[in-house]
Amino acid sequence: MASTTPVLKSLGHNMLRPLGWLGLVMLWLAPGVQASDFFITGLHTEVKEGVYLLDADIDYRFTDDALQALSNGVPLTVQVNIEIERVRNWWFDAHVATLEQRYSLQYHALSHQYLLRNLNSSAFYSFPNYRAAVQAMGRLREFPLVDAQLIVPDESYRLLMKAELDIEALPSPLRPVAYITPAWRLKSDWYSWSLTH
Amino acid sequence: MVIDTLKRLTSGPKPVVLLFVLLFTALYLMGAATQNSELFGRLYSLLLGVNILALLLLLTLIGRNLITLIGQYRENAAGSRLTARMVVVFVILAVTPISVLYYFSLQFIHRGIDSWFDLRAEQALEDALELGRSALDSRLRELLRDSREVGRELAGKPDSTLVLSLNTIRETMDATEMTLLTVNGRVLSSSSLDPATVLPTLPSLAILQQMRHGLEYAALEPLHDRGLHYRIVLSIANPDPLGEPRLLHAIYPIPERIDTLAASVQSAFTKYRELSFLRQPLKYSFTLTLSLVLLLSLLTAVWAAFFSARRLVAPIRDLAEGTRAVAEGDYDMRLPLPGKDELGFLVRSFNDMTRKLSRARDSAQKSQAQAEEQRAYLEAVLACLSSGVFTLNQHGELRTANSAAAAILGIELSEISGLTLEEAALKYPQIEPLLETIASHLGPEHGSWQAEVTLFGEGGRRVLISRGSPLQRGGELAEEHVIVFDDVTALIQAQRDAAWGEVARRLAHEIKNPLTPIQLSAERLRHKYLKQMSGEDAELLDRSTHTIVQQVESMQEMVKAFSDYARPPKLQLIPVSLGRLVQEVMDLYQGDPRLHLSLESRGEMPTIEADVGRIRQLLHNLVKNAIEARTDGNPISLRLLVHCAEKGSCRFVELRFEDSGPGFDEEMLDQLFEPYVTSKPRGTGLGLAVVKKIVEEHGGMIMAENHPEGGAVITVRLPVSVTQRRDIGGEGPLTLTVLNSEK
Repeated sequence: MASTTPVLKSLGHNMLRPLGWLGLVMLWLAPGVQASDFFITGLHTEVKEGVYLLDADIDYRFTDDALQALSNGVPLTVQVNIEIERVRNWWFDAHVATLEQRYSLQYHALSHQYLLRNLNSSAFYSFPNYRAAVQAMGRLREFPLVDAQLIVPDESYRLLMKAELDIEALPSPLRPVAYITPAWRLKSDWYSWSLTH
Repeated sequence: MVIDTLKRLTSGPKPVVLLFVLLFTALYLMGAATQNSELFGRLYSLLLGVNILALLLLLTLIGRNLITLIGQYRENAAGSRLTARMVVVFVILAVTPISVLYYFSLQFIHRGIDSWFDLRAEQALEDALELGRSALDSRLRELLRDSREVGRELAGKPDSTLVLSLNTIRETMDATEMTLLTVNGRVLSSSSLDPATVLPTLPSLAILQQMRHGLEYAALEPLHDRGLHYRIVLSIANPDPLGEPRLLHAIYPIPERIDTLAASVQSAFTKYRELSFLRQPLKYSFTLTLSLVLLLSLLTAVWAAFFSARRLVAPIRDLAEGTRAVAEGDYDMRLPLPGKDELGFLVRSFNDMTRKLSRARDSAQKSQAQAEEQRAYLEAVLACLSSGVFTLNQHGELRTANSAAAAILGIELSEISGLTLEEAALKYPQIEPLLETIASHLGPEHGSWQAEVTLFGEGGRRVLISRGSPLQRGGELAEEHVIVFDDVTALIQAQRDAAWGEVARRLAHEIKNPLTPIQLSAERLRHKYLKQMSGEDAELLDRSTHTIVQQVESMQEMVKAFSDYARPPKLQLIPVSLGRLVQEVMDLYQGDPRLHLSLESRGEMPTIEADVGRIRQLLHNLVKNAIEARTDGNPISLRLLVHCAEKGSCRFVELRFEDSGPGFDEEMLDQLFEPYVTSKPRGTGLGLAVVKKIVEEHGGMIMAENHPEGGAVITVRLPVSVTQRRDIGGEGPLTLTVLNSEK
């Protein structure tokens, strides 16, 4: 449909949450430049029955620290943020819609199963192995984005997508460490997609 | 204004106390959050951030206090050193126990956390989990075996009976759900224990993927809201060899009791593993919380140290500043009362002291003002006295002298003040006789004394009557003395003049009476016998009578002069323009061969009240006096200067006669104005006496002196009338008229 150039969006884009400020401070304190660990690929949108639907794959590459925590029963929560903006040439882009999807991944020791929950829809899945669970978590198919009527023809729209590990959902003793350790600050770059009518 | 309001709100102890309370609350909540409390757990990061920010704020507050204190210390401000010392002591007192407490608390926490984890407990939990798993696995194997049987059974059945068969088999097998589907996920038939289930539970894509490879799937799975279940997926033969491969998907329940136990084991194991995994972060977290508590306590203690030191030192600083102010003479300073403690008592005492000092100072100032007033009054009285007054202190030094003393003696008061009599005599030799007289009477045996002293100075001979007595203080004689002296030269002169007047009057009276009969008799002798005589007799008679008549006439002139001196006519005082009068008289001498006259006038010339005739006589006499001073018949130069002279509050018109004659005999200067005193061969000796008399009749004064370059100088001063003195306008400057120019 359009070009798929990943861009780094301004960090202030998702600063509505107050803890973001603290995260920013911690990020600033952290040594080195943070490389992304999650990758968004195969993003595609289409209109079906008057609704924009999104297909995308997110490659979650959890670090060893995160995987160790997972295997020790610590649930990992991932948050996918999607924003739609109308592009304006001479002013800030107009905000059209914001969507947020949260997934929780947990290891069930007794059954050796990986349990995946969609925290928005309460959908629940179990997987016999980690790979299957992560693949399922990263697989977005026909995800409803926005009513097609909200997208005005002749206007330029942009879809922005980002996935990150929600540190705030970690157990509280882990959070300070997570904020200051790059191994825990897992996220993708902002992925930009031109949305056309 | 906004900044002021902000300052007011953020200054003082209240906002800081509020900050502390909030901080403690935040720390308490953070402590609770560390223990994984559900409510505070979500706020943990926020609380952490708030605490760090608050601590930074507190640090800033303390930093500001510290900078202020350092600045005051460097400026050596009052109380800064004491404040610094107290702050240091408070901080040491606070830091030491807190640090010890921190160290041991940290140790206890770490050990406490470590003690939660026990190897045996962990092993037991793992064993329990393994046991449960084993128990469940054996059942799973049974179910798999049974399911295979079911699969074989279903494989031979036609599609039309599948639904019924599946339902029967499910009931037989006690399965929760049993579904027949293709390997692509298409449902062929399904049976569920729950009749409300419309959509059967389907295996995940991963399982389907696995099944495509001809594998079986049997696993224990937790299902959403339904606890643990067994899920078994098998491939079964399709009656149609060309049809899609088929799968049997069966879900079997776990007995409730076992499910509960298994869930409990799973939960405990997971919790334990999680805790075990979080052991180190938990330690960090507790250490962080404890460190924040420590920092808060420390910073609170430091701030409290600053605050209390300032509070304690404030009254002391006030006292120091107050003392400094008192030392600089400011007794009106009142300090604010800090409270009812000992410091308050001290401040109250200080305020009482300054109040009393202030009163004492006011009273002293009042007394001083009174003393000054009395002194000024006394000085004014002394200044108005015509008598000269000296006071001597116990060391014989001149302490006080009034302006009359300076005028009489012709000295500067400031130059003799504080000098002994001997030093004053050295400085002013002309008053030495007076000082010697005073010195000779200073002994305690003398008491009050009086003496007449004659001084010789620039103003000529002066006679002083001096009186002295020791000062009395409190009824006792002190060693201080007061000396009063009067210039009686003029008085003595007046007495002498009066005596001479009387002599002249009597002489005139006694001589004048017989003169007329003598003259008449001589004329009668001449008239009667001259005609009868002849020759030598007649000549003798003529010569003798002529001599008698001539001498009598001469004597009559002399008597008249005496008479004029003794009995002057009554003065007819009228406002006179002296300048014009002088001009008129001097005009008469214009062309006189004996005289070179020059008239000079300076400044404004007011009118005087004078008897015109007498002033004319005065002027004539003085001009004649100059003419008579000629020694060799050559014309004499006379310079007459008329000008206005200011002396004190009085104003005079001054006439200054300067001639080029031989000047006055120095020895005669004292008696120059007395009758019959003359150095001139042709003088009567009455001219200057009459002049002096006229001047004194007009309230003026006359002085005679010799010019340093030769010649006599006579100065006459006549007072200006009172009305004229108010209005200085009067007559304009005299035009300079040169009479008998030497050319």
